[in-house]
Amino acid sequence: MRYGDGSNAVVALESINLAVAEREFVTIVGPSGCGKSTLLYLVGGFLRPSSGEILLQGRPITAPGRDRGVVFQRYSLFPWLTVAGNIAFGLEEQRMPKAQRERVVDEHIRLVHLDGFRDRYPRELSGGMQQRVALAQTLACNPQMLLMDEPFGALDAQTRRILQDEVRRIWLRDTKTVLFVTHDVEEAVALGTRIVVMAARPGRIKEIIDRDFDVADGEEFDANPAFVELKLRIWRSVKAEVEATRA
Amino acid sequence: MSGGSLLAWRTMHGVSRLLPIVLVLLTWQAASMTGWLPASWLPPLTAVAMALGGLVVSGELATNTIASLSRAGAGFGVAVVIGVTLGILMARIRFVQLAVEPILVMIYPVPKPALIPLFMIWLGIGNFSKITVIALACLLPIVVATFNGARSVDAMLLWSAQARGTSERNLLWRVILPAALPQIATGVRTAIAIAIIVLVSSEFISSDSGLGYLIFSYGGVGADDAMLAVVLYLALLGYAFDRLYVNALRRVMAWHAFAH
Repeated sequence: MRYGDGSNAVVALESINLAVAEREFVTIVGPSGCGKSTLLYLVGGFLRPSSGEILLQGRPITAPGRDRGVVFQRYSLFPWLTVAGNIAFGLEEQRMPKAQRERVVDEHIRLVHLDGFRDRYPRELSGGMQQRVALAQTLACNPQMLLMDEPFGALDAQTRRILQDEVRRIWLRDTKTVLFVTHDVEEAVALGTRIVVMAARPGRIKEIIDRDFDVADGEEFDANPAFVELKLRIWRSVKAEVEATRA
Repeated sequence: MSGGSLLAWRTMHGVSRLLPIVLVLLTWQAASMTGWLPASWLPPLTAVAMALGGLVVSGELATNTIASLSRAGAGFGVAVVIGVTLGILMARIRFVQLAVEPILVMIYPVPKPALIPLFMIWLGIGNFSKITVIALACLLPIVVATFNGARSVDAMLLWSAQARGTSERNLLWRVILPAALPQIATGVRTAIAIAIIVLVSSEFISSDSGLGYLIFSYGGVGADDAMLAVVLYLALLGYAFDRLYVNALRRVMAWHAFAH
């Protein structure tokens, strides 16, 4: 994937080869500038690859679509719509009948524990609550695949932990395919059943690691030797890349 | 905050807004009464207020206000419709931007009242030329604000909508327009003040009705207190429109955090 042309061109991603199985939770971790978000935007269909192709169930991705739901770090919500309005947005675009729409909206407000905030505007909510709405908005459209671009990057540590557990629970319940970009190694290990470590300049996949143990809600990560070991291994791998780009 | 104290706070806030205006008026009156400010320089506030009372009683003020506001309203209304449409088109279609932007940049600093004689030759000396020049003057801040607002809609907000199956047309109505609304609202606020300025200028040049006509005719016969009474009235009218507009915005756009 290149940006710009001629001598100003920047190669953001090179020789990416990644196959994601259905119902997998893949986290992508790497130093800033390694193109991990770009990779996600390509899968989302928001950007087109300058060479190569991305297939979804055998068909090339050419445009954004309802089969891929997306949650960004910010700007996923429409500030002029209430919580219910935001969740209903995609359903209205699908021309879902009103009664059914109301039911789906209520169901998803409950799912992300925002009962009582139905008629609030995004600016009246905390960052954590806004991201819950973004998650509900995306899940309400029932996509096959969730694309998450550092969705909890701007949240405090406690809120982040709570939302990570919620995402894992939703994934276990609905078994959707999830592609989750983060710069937080602990988050990558806590959520991903497979962890993709990326290298920068040009952005490429450095290694892909399977997590061969389960992680439970509210688990004390530091008390799990397997977790600590994997986190340390990935952290060293990412650190080596950060140092390589500084040199 | 409880309902009662909120109301008290809002009343206090409203009073504190008016305080600077009251102070200026009091200083004016005090300066006249102590003789520092001769009536030949500026008539005392009380004389201006008396003249204003006279204009209200005679009905002159009401008739000419209606004449003026229908002109200003027509020009302003046309400007809002054309301005928002053009601004959105410029932001969405590169060709329109390339074609229109240089012309707008050139017309913006031109004092629009200077074009009135020209417009009168083309469109006659009646209401049509006045409305046209008001519309043109109001158009510019609205187009620029809409263009900037529509162009700076966050790409992720658009992506977010597209990933929910939004069509190109709905993207415009359901995302770009509301996202640009806070900036459009600011451009429209500027246009309200401009409408009054250009209205009065156009009525100076050729008119037999309107507030500008009143100022011009009283000024011409040396009735400074009546002339100033209309000027003061226009200032109050402009202030009232601005407050009404901002309050209406706060109501309609409750989702947005307004600074004013």
